[in-house]
Amino acid sequence: MAIIETKNLTYTYPGGAKPSVRDVSVKIEKGEFVLVTGPSGCGKTTLCRCFNGLIPHFYQGELKGEVTAAGLKVAEQPICELAKHVGLVFQNPENQLFALSVEKDVAFGLENLGVPREEMRKRVDWALKLTGIYDLRERAPHELSGGQQQRAAIASVLAMQPEVIVLDEPTSFLDPLGAKKIFEVIYELNRKLGITTVLVEHRLDLTAKYVDHIIIMEDGKVVLDGEPREILSSKEARLIGVGIPKATRLYQILQKDRVKLGNAVPLSSDEMSALLRGVLKA
Amino acid sequence: MSVFEGLRFRRVYSPIHNLDPRIKFVYVCAIFVAAIIFWELLPLITLFLIQIPFVLLAGVKREWLRSMRGAVFLAAIIFLTNFIFSFIGAGYIVTAKSVENAVAMTLRFIVLVESFSIFFLTTSPDHLGLALEQTHIPYEFCFAFTTAVRFVPVLAEEAQTIMDAQKARGLELEGGNFLKRIRNYIPILIPLIVGSIRRSLELAEAMESRAWGATKNRTNLYVLKMHRGDFILIAITVGILATAIYTRLFFAIPSLNELLGSLF
Ligand SMILES: Nc1ncnc2c1ncn2[C@@H]1O[C@H](COP(=O)(O)OP(=O)(O)OP(=O)(O)O)[C@@H](O)[C@H]1O
Ligand SMILES: [Mg+2]
Repeated sequence: MAIIETKNLTYTYPGGAKPSVRDVSVKIEKGEFVLVTGPSGCGKTTLCRCFNGLIPHFYQGELKGEVTAAGLKVAEQPICELAKHVGLVFQNPENQLFALSVEKDVAFGLENLGVPREEMRKRVDWALKLTGIYDLRERAPHELSGGQQQRAAIASVLAMQPEVIVLDEPTSFLDPLGAKKIFEVIYELNRKLGITTVLVEHRLDLTAKYVDHIIIMEDGKVVLDGEPREILSSKEARLIGVGIPKATRLYQILQKDRVKLGNAVPLSSDEMSALLRGVLKA
Repeated sequence: MSVFEGLRFRRVYSPIHNLDPRIKFVYVCAIFVAAIIFWELLPLITLFLIQIPFVLLAGVKREWLRSMRGAVFLAAIIFLTNFIFSFIGAGYIVTAKSVENAVAMTLRFIVLVESFSIFFLTTSPDHLGLALEQTHIPYEFCFAFTTAVRFVPVLAEEAQTIMDAQKARGLELEGGNFLKRIRNYIPILIPLIVGSIRRSLELAEAMESRAWGATKNRTNLYVLKMHRGDFILIAITVGILATAIYTRLFFAIPSLNELLGSLF
């Protein structure tokens, strides 16, 4: 059974002229690494808010259709109950850290849940180590770089041990190298711990190679949904203006000029160079 | 950023910093009471002096001196009012007693400032927040307190950025009369307020997503435990208070004049 499923989800913000998410039906399977992308303003953030109950509990407005997450009907459960199952990491790391030290922040969710102190200590240290910020645990948030802050934000969601972690453009405040490192951390969490991961991201060059499933949105609707290689090499994806990885694009152009490099479409420069190497050897 | 430097708490470790804030607070209250029950100069001098070792132990001499310097203006006003009143009361003559009285009142104020500044200079905000939580103050208040402290440097930085941006666009901040100057700051305040509202919405969203309010029995990563130092401070506090009350009740405290007179 899918761990997150939406059925004909349509949502309009209070006072909104038209729905921000329209008739969305998607399924996210357990353990998957899902990438959600699409032009700015197409409703990606809105969709994320539906996954953990911020819509309809925090944002009023008009909701139609149904969302289930981890077997719970989102409309019927309070956010704090859903938070145990679906963790949400936001765009701006600064505004998700409210405590005066990193470890206190990582503990925040667990404190809210009333987790006993010894157990909390263990989970906090575990999350800090996984995200590689254990040595920074006593620092204040404003003493950290953007990348470190974002790691702290991820750790604080991770400590709650949700089944699904949703990251809404977690690297938009970071430089490319910082972003690359964050993606590596996220990928490891997905592979090692089997946490279902939903990543909203524009930089497909850096992320496409990790993902099992891509959802492309446009103007509130899901227009493409499926296997990454298939979707990214499709014409529709290019026309929507999704940032197709350069390697994929090059493969397509070469293919149009009747240079066939192999059967698998490359999603990253590594895969591309492997392909080229193979061809050169032959 | 220089204006806002003072708002930033620097993490320091010293025997005084490590003391339980609750005990430190009780200590401040005790000093407060002791300073109020005396109006003679001698005990107030004693109260002033016995706090100096705390400052030295905590290693906050520079900051402490700065905060004492900040109190000079008020201290001068207190001295002058007291002096003038006793001057008039004594029939327009300056007596040694009236000077000593005025000095004593001023010193009382300084002792109060001294103990408060020791408390705030040596108590980190998260320590204070923790102490608030563990004295069963509703968690919402404690959270509001620590979050406010957390965002002071952030807002300060934002204010600075907005100020620079508006100045670059030709905004004059200085000059003009008082009202004009206040009006000058409106282009700074509006973006700052709008930004803060958006920030608080994002904060609320993040809090909700991390199970805010899931249970009434919130737990805490830290516990405040009493250490040896705290017991020593309790002993000192009780000692000061007991001595003060005993002295007040059973001793006639000589004025500095009389004392000096009897010595020489
Ligand atoms: N809090 C809100 N109140 C009202 N309307 C909103 C709110 N948040 C978003 N919208 C509207 O909903 C639509 C979708 O916005 P959303 O933030 O979901 O897009 P997005 O895909 O996340 O964009 P981006 O890539 O820029 O983050 C937009 O038209 C936006 O104006
Ligand atoms: Mg968004």
